[in-house]
Amino acid sequence: MRTPVKKLAIAVSTSIALLGAGQAAAEIQVGIAGPMTGPVAQYGDMQFSGARMAIEQINANGGVNGEKLVGVEYDDVCDPKQAVTVANSLVNDGVRFVVGHLCSSSTQPASDIYEDEGILMVTPASTSPEITERGYELVFRTIGLDSMQGPVAGNYIASLNPERVAIVHDKQQYGEGIATAVRDTLKGQGVEIAMFEGITAGDKDFSSLITKLKQADVDYVYYGGYHPELGLILRQARQADLDATFMGPEGVGNKDINTIAGEAAEGLLVTLPPSFDQKAENQKLVAAFESKGEDPSGPFVLTSYAAVQLIAEGIEKADSTDPFDVAEALRSNSFETPIGTVEYDKAGDMKSFEFVVYEWHSDGSKTPVK
Amino acid sequence: MQDLLYFSQQLINGLTIGSAYALIAIGYTMVYGIIGMINFAHGEIYMIGAYTALLAITGLATLGVTWLPLILLIALICAMIVSSSMGWAVERVAYRPVRGRHRLIPLISAIGMSIFLQNYVHLAQGSRNIGFPALIEGGFQFGSSGAFQMSLSYMQITIFITTLICMTLLSLFISRSRTGRACRAVSQDIGMANLLGIDTNRIISATFVIGAALAAVAGLLLGMYYGSIDPLFGFIAGLKAFTAAVLGGIGSIPGAMLGGLILGVSESMTSGYLSGEYKDVVSFGLLILILLFKPTGLLGKPEVEKI
Repeated sequence: MRTPVKKLAIAVSTSIALLGAGQAAAEIQVGIAGPMTGPVAQYGDMQFSGARMAIEQINANGGVNGEKLVGVEYDDVCDPKQAVTVANSLVNDGVRFVVGHLCSSSTQPASDIYEDEGILMVTPASTSPEITERGYELVFRTIGLDSMQGPVAGNYIASLNPERVAIVHDKQQYGEGIATAVRDTLKGQGVEIAMFEGITAGDKDFSSLITKLKQADVDYVYYGGYHPELGLILRQARQADLDATFMGPEGVGNKDINTIAGEAAEGLLVTLPPSFDQKAENQKLVAAFESKGEDPSGPFVLTSYAAVQLIAEGIEKADSTDPFDVAEALRSNSFETPIGTVEYDKAGDMKSFEFVVYEWHSDGSKTPVK
Repeated sequence: MQDLLYFSQQLINGLTIGSAYALIAIGYTMVYGIIGMINFAHGEIYMIGAYTALLAITGLATLGVTWLPLILLIALICAMIVSSSMGWAVERVAYRPVRGRHRLIPLISAIGMSIFLQNYVHLAQGSRNIGFPALIEGGFQFGSSGAFQMSLSYMQITIFITTLICMTLLSLFISRSRTGRACRAVSQDIGMANLLGIDTNRIISATFVIGAALAAVAGLLLGMYYGSIDPLFGFIAGLKAFTAAVLGGIGSIPGAMLGGLILGVSESMTSGYLSGEYKDVVSFGLLILILLFKPTGLLGKPEVEKI
């Protein structure tokens, strides 16, 4: 009696497995990993909105080699530990292409797992140089590096002939990396650095730091980090009558800084990728976002869109869904995307990526300064 | 001259933050003094106080109330009521059922309560930093030397004065009132107090309610002073206040005040003269030193282990 049951069970499970395999062949899963919750969730919103739109449009145009893309979303809370968990569940789910992660400190540990497991990753937002420095084959990005953003900020501050500059960072990979790049550029230009100091991310009281900045009599303060801390520093600096111009990387450039800093956010300088949504050739895409009630102006919306598009076109060019073939195709071709022409070097970095200096306003809008 | 001004400014910064730590530390120290347990959910009560105050302020603004003292008063009362009921409920739900067991059990229960409250606010209010309106702006400028100018903001003055009033009222309450006397009796010997007809359960509840109310005051003040709140900010503040309570001698109310001020000043001096990176190193290093060399804290009385 037992044997037939067992055979039947094997038959059923095999057919289910085959069925599963059949489905997997008809569609290509694209993992989207980024923060849905947590203090920087609004960047995650940009990422998810851009990637979803790309998947939707590619599918509407017949998919990739006749196969549909399916987005699978994961929340890493921008926490390195959570990112590792997410990466492992992607592996378990059999996903072979990932758009993400967002925070450099999450992308780095996750990329180790992806490389080992043969999963291709395109990060639309992580700018830390270390991520592509390790000679990985399957790691790409659709954004520039801190080492490109730092010099832009440093050169801009130097061009204003500052007397004394202070550099503050949040001791995290992203913030400290970019702050170091700015310091090196300024030093190279012969500008005096009055202070180079770390704060603790998540701290709320910056009165001592601000007193110190006042004492050091600085006219420019560069902050490497994210908006929750810079927002408070701006606000507390204004209350303490600190008369200095602040500047930060794209991690501070979003409207949440206005809810924290209020009026004090006026005049903040931010280096951001150029506003891709302002480009004439992207207007059709912008209209598509707006018709869905979404805002395409965030810095990571169109980079995420481009990341999905690159994965799709890479698969088409390689005529294979093997991540290694796709990586090869990405390195050897050039692609037209909403963020411009993309060509990759051996490390997986874009050969050129531009950063622009913007002046931030207290209503959350921004104007380019050069 | 400039150095002196700089020192005074850092001292003011430290005293401001220290008074707020002291307000939160009272909750730790009173609970420890009476039932010998550490209420790790107290930082979350403070955070909930700040959220309630913000909701009240936003609500009043929508209703069109513009008179500042009225807004502050209503926000304060709302925050105190909500936090106090929270403090009371936490004691009833999480501590009373396990009171008298092994002392690790209430501690674990407290940590669980802390995680629960944090995540509850996460879900209810979202995890983003929310801006807190600066209701009290401006301040005095005095003593400028070179480019440096010392300032004392109205907000800082408000924090000092409020802390001072709360501490005075609390001291009067503990030393003069009937409930205060009962509190002291329960802290000296809970069994005996029970035999003498004191409703110890009611006194313990009262302790939680008072501690939570003071934490709510700190929540409103620090929310305005810092400028933003998030569901996790009670955790660090709670740890700092706990350090302050231990520093001053846990179980002693004047000790909590002293500990808070010392902690605040040492933090601001570390950021001011060393680097902000070492701020937490110094404050928690101080805690370890005190625990090593004077485990009862600065003003704590050496006491026989309660069994």
